[in-house]
Amino acid sequence: MAEGRAFGVLGLFSDPALLLAAVPKLRARGLGRVQAYTPYPVHGLGEALGLRRSPLGGMVLVMGLLGTATAFLFQWWMNSVDYPLFTGGKDPSSWQAFVPIMFEVTVLFATFTAGLGMLVLLNKLPAFWHPFLDSEASRAATRDRFALAIEAEGEVFDAAAAEAALMVVGAGSIEVLPGLPPPRRVPLETLLGLAAGGAVACCLAGAAMYWGVKLFPVLPPMSHMLAQPRLDAQQRGRRAPAEGSVARGRLPYPFEKPEQARGLGNPLPRTEEVLRLGRKVFAHNCLICHGPLADGTPILTAAYGGRPANLQSRKYLGLSDGEIYHTIMKGENAMPRLGDGFTEDERWAVIHYIRALQRAQHAKDGDL
Amino acid sequence: MAEALSAAALDERVLSFPERRPPAAWFAAFAFTSSAMLLGFALIGYTVYMGIGVWGNNRPVGWAFDIINFVFWIGIGHAGTLISAILLLMRAPWRNAIARFSEAMTLFAVMTAGIFPAIHVGRPWLEFWLAPYPNQRGLWPNFRSPLMWDVFAVSTYFAVSVLFWYIGLLPDLASMRGRAQTPLRRMALTVLSLGWRGTPQQWRHYEKAYILLAGLATGLVLSVHSVVSFDFATSLVPGWHMTLFPPYFVVGAIFAGFAMVVLVLSAARRLMGLEDLITMRHLELANKVILGCSCLMGYSYACEAFTAWYSMNPYIQHTFMQYVSGTYGWAGWIAITCNVLVPQLFWWRRMRTSQTAMIVVALAVTAGMWFERFVIIVISLYHDFLPSSWHVYQPTLVDFGILLGSFGFFFTLVLLFTRLLPVIATTEVKATLPGAQHEGGHHG
Amino acid sequence: MTLAMTALGGLAAAATFFVCGPQRFWANWLVWMLMLLSAGLGALFLTALEHLTGARWSVPLRRSAERVSGLLVPACAAAVLALFALPVLYPWAGPEAAHHPLIAAKAGWLNVPFFAARALACAALWLVSWRVFAGGSLRQDRSRDAALSERARRYAPFFMVVMGLTTLVVAFDWVSSLSPEWYSDVIGVYLFAGSFLAGLAAVTLTVGHLKERGRLTELRFDHVYSLGAWLFAFTVFWSYIAFAQYLLMWYADLPEEVFWYAQRSRGAWRGVSLALGLLHFVIPFFALLPRDAKGDLRRLRWVAALVLGAHFLDLYWLVFPVLGARPPFSWPELGFAGFFIGVSLLWMRRALRQGADMPVGDPGLAEGLAFKL
Repeated sequence: MAEGRAFGVLGLFSDPALLLAAVPKLRARGLGRVQAYTPYPVHGLGEALGLRRSPLGGMVLVMGLLGTATAFLFQWWMNSVDYPLFTGGKDPSSWQAFVPIMFEVTVLFATFTAGLGMLVLLNKLPAFWHPFLDSEASRAATRDRFALAIEAEGEVFDAAAAEAALMVVGAGSIEVLPGLPPPRRVPLETLLGLAAGGAVACCLAGAAMYWGVKLFPVLPPMSHMLAQPRLDAQQRGRRAPAEGSVARGRLPYPFEKPEQARGLGNPLPRTEEVLRLGRKVFAHNCLICHGPLADGTPILTAAYGGRPANLQSRKYLGLSDGEIYHTIMKGENAMPRLGDGFTEDERWAVIHYIRALQRAQHAKDGDL
Repeated sequence: MAEALSAAALDERVLSFPERRPPAAWFAAFAFTSSAMLLGFALIGYTVYMGIGVWGNNRPVGWAFDIINFVFWIGIGHAGTLISAILLLMRAPWRNAIARFSEAMTLFAVMTAGIFPAIHVGRPWLEFWLAPYPNQRGLWPNFRSPLMWDVFAVSTYFAVSVLFWYIGLLPDLASMRGRAQTPLRRMALTVLSLGWRGTPQQWRHYEKAYILLAGLATGLVLSVHSVVSFDFATSLVPGWHMTLFPPYFVVGAIFAGFAMVVLVLSAARRLMGLEDLITMRHLELANKVILGCSCLMGYSYACEAFTAWYSMNPYIQHTFMQYVSGTYGWAGWIAITCNVLVPQLFWWRRMRTSQTAMIVVALAVTAGMWFERFVIIVISLYHDFLPSSWHVYQPTLVDFGILLGSFGFFFTLVLLFTRLLPVIATTEVKATLPGAQHEGGHHG
Repeated sequence: MTLAMTALGGLAAAATFFVCGPQRFWANWLVWMLMLLSAGLGALFLTALEHLTGARWSVPLRRSAERVSGLLVPACAAAVLALFALPVLYPWAGPEAAHHPLIAAKAGWLNVPFFAARALACAALWLVSWRVFAGGSLRQDRSRDAALSERARRYAPFFMVVMGLTTLVVAFDWVSSLSPEWYSDVIGVYLFAGSFLAGLAAVTLTVGHLKERGRLTELRFDHVYSLGAWLFAFTVFWSYIAFAQYLLMWYADLPEEVFWYAQRSRGAWRGVSLALGLLHFVIPFFALLPRDAKGDLRRLRWVAALVLGAHFLDLYWLVFPVLGARPPFSWPELGFAGFFIGVSLLWMRRALRQGADMPVGDPGLAEGLAFKL
């Protein structure tokens, strides 16, 4: 942009009718781009300036439908595919209960498109540096006057002619808007300062994270959950099935002592499918205490008092599949009995998966 | 609208509030409401620290003041959206003068309402569990739970209300910027108004966006209280599982919201000297809406009572008898009296235009709608299917304190709003003033 | 042509009674009675809404709405005749009801004399309301008496009460009690939403017809757009109510409620239910979504026709499952359609000759014509 060239010339009107009459006259002169600034939408001005219809409606429709699809897909994937939830006796693949959230997300996408699309994409806001904003006229033109400007389009702009033209069509308080100042360079110190600030923020965030994970859960009132009487009243862990009942796919377990179960063999083959199932069961049920590597390092802090078993220790490496099965069925120490919640296949699959974890942590050269 | 009012005078009247020092009465009111708010927050802190055992909730009444207040406040918000969106779509220009105030009340009411589910879960620091974030354990939230729908509905409602309100505010902020005397204030308002210039291009997109937002907000407002009603209606609890609940909750919400609008506006117009902008006509129309909603409430009550009988389901019939007799029968009668009978006064024009009458009715409706939620929630729960598990519910002082605090929070925000931002959508009013448009494009 | 269609349809309809049995005859009769009733009542509601709110956009359209509301007269006649359907279609009116404890317990409400009294009272209320609004408006054409507008304005709130209560009664009596064990208290709102939608669609068709004949020339985009917007809004509202009722019953899964939906989601009825969702919501919703579609009368007429068709399907879906697991659709249904559409068209043809095409005596007409969005 040429230094010192004016951005445009601006004049004020007090009557919308005069403003509308002036627009075609000024456009015919071809002195520059004709622009208006008004305190409220003046009807007919857009047509006079030859503006097209706002494309916002189409954008909103597309984004709204995208919202519907997104909401359906994430609910369906999470609750029907990846982690099928059986609630209220409903088929986990049923769609009906997904509709309310589909509607809400549609509206969310659509309104954000309408609002932010209008502001940011179409109107290019925020724009804090514009000659109009610094003009004297901006005071009146956000109150009750209507500003009309002839703005420079190319390299050549005749400010005097524009002033005269505005005068002819009856504009008052004519004002020349100066051109934009050249952009300033960002000084090196600022950049360094920002980088240092970023580094400090990262350190603080790290410290906060550590505090959040290690200390936060043991502070009151977070620790109160250990002291609540209902923790025991509701039985720790899963409820035992009703006496004498046999759930489908879950055969009753006859043994009382781990030694009795020692001889049980894992009936499932060690296929990828089985391991996949085992990993899912492990993640949903075991990982919270035994840790992702089954090494007794839980993702929740150990501050809650329990010392979950390290399945990578010598003692557990030496257990037979049957003994692990027994522990799953009957629980041990602080570990509740969980087996009633799993099908036969799930129990054995998770044992395969634990074995795989153990082998991964104690890999021999031959495994590589 | 007063004929003589000019755009400049309107700006001077409305936009000067944030520039002036508030009167002593404002400070007095603020001290009062903010004390109530602080009391509420202190008690919330106490609740979070001690656990929700400090409330009166028991088994089987697991939902009580917490959920009553939530439903109550979220309902109050609905009138604002109705006024700003639905009346905009219905081209009722009388809405312009009261839209901004009502929208602000929507926001504040939703903010107040949002407190309750957050503290009701007992361990607010674990609320991130509601978000579907990928985690090591491979678990996802249950999207078939109506409580999850609530999370989405209420947060969408809040986000959309903020956006709608802010976009409406934008040109007014630009007007405030134009008036700014100090550079600092000017700079702050430039940022707040995003550098709005008001070119025809901008207005064209703006008007389109505003209409679209209104349409979307209309659908949303129907859905929000419907989703709130699903919290109850999808269950099997007698008295909750009623198919009428969604529209009935929406009407109740609009009803309570309008009562609050009338209450706040009739006070604000007098205290702020806006009688010629927020006129008796506005209040009368709002009162007509209240009357209409009151009749619909009567319809819903009658319809529900009839269905309870018609279902021939002994549990439902028992619950409905408990609504009007038994331990809490008085609450049912308060709800019926305040929501159905008292607003019938508005059949008379004299009552609709009387300052005293409308305050009395609005207060009655506010109380009545609170008690209606009490009836629905507490009475339906305290007599469970099994007589052995029946239990009477008694709120504690903490419950009452938090309720008071919620009013304090709401009114504190309202008071702050009246002194910080334009309370009337000046741009919209200006656009419909006589002579504002070439060849009378608009009819006011 | 219309006369021939009516006569032929009437013959086929009468033959149904003897060939297919009274059940199918009365089921068809009931659907078409409700069809005429809902269109007439919906149009009358639109008229009353204008008086109630002082809306101006609809004044130039009001005469069309008043003319459509005249369908209430044949609808009331059909309703009176439909009382003969009670022992045929309604289990509670048959002799076996006494052996069914749940149905017998409801006898206080579900008994023939009380039912007939309610039906007649509703019919009387509708006809009186029709006289007040439509008749008063016609008289105003000649007298130019502003007091008639005032009378309509004063009566409008009471009509709202009448509308609320009578649609509730119609819904519980004529529709819901076909399966007397079943109950849903939103059914009144459901029927109201369908009614208003049908009324709007019928008014749109009338306006389109008149406009095509070069009448109603002063009607502009702004008026048509408003009508289209209402059509759109109530398409959404109906869907909202319909889905809410379904979702709640599906979710709770109570045997005494959900059997009603189970009937409608098995076998061929499943297809009808899906078609209902498609025709009553998806297609009209997207057809009316663009701004231009709402203001273009030619497109709007197609959508209005579709909405009326979908409303018929809705009533069919409400009534016909009592006949059995297979949705019957054959010459009897076509015959009934021919007969009742013919009667409506003849009735409308007569109505279109009465009075001016706009309420020329209404003091608000000038303002209504000048209405701008």
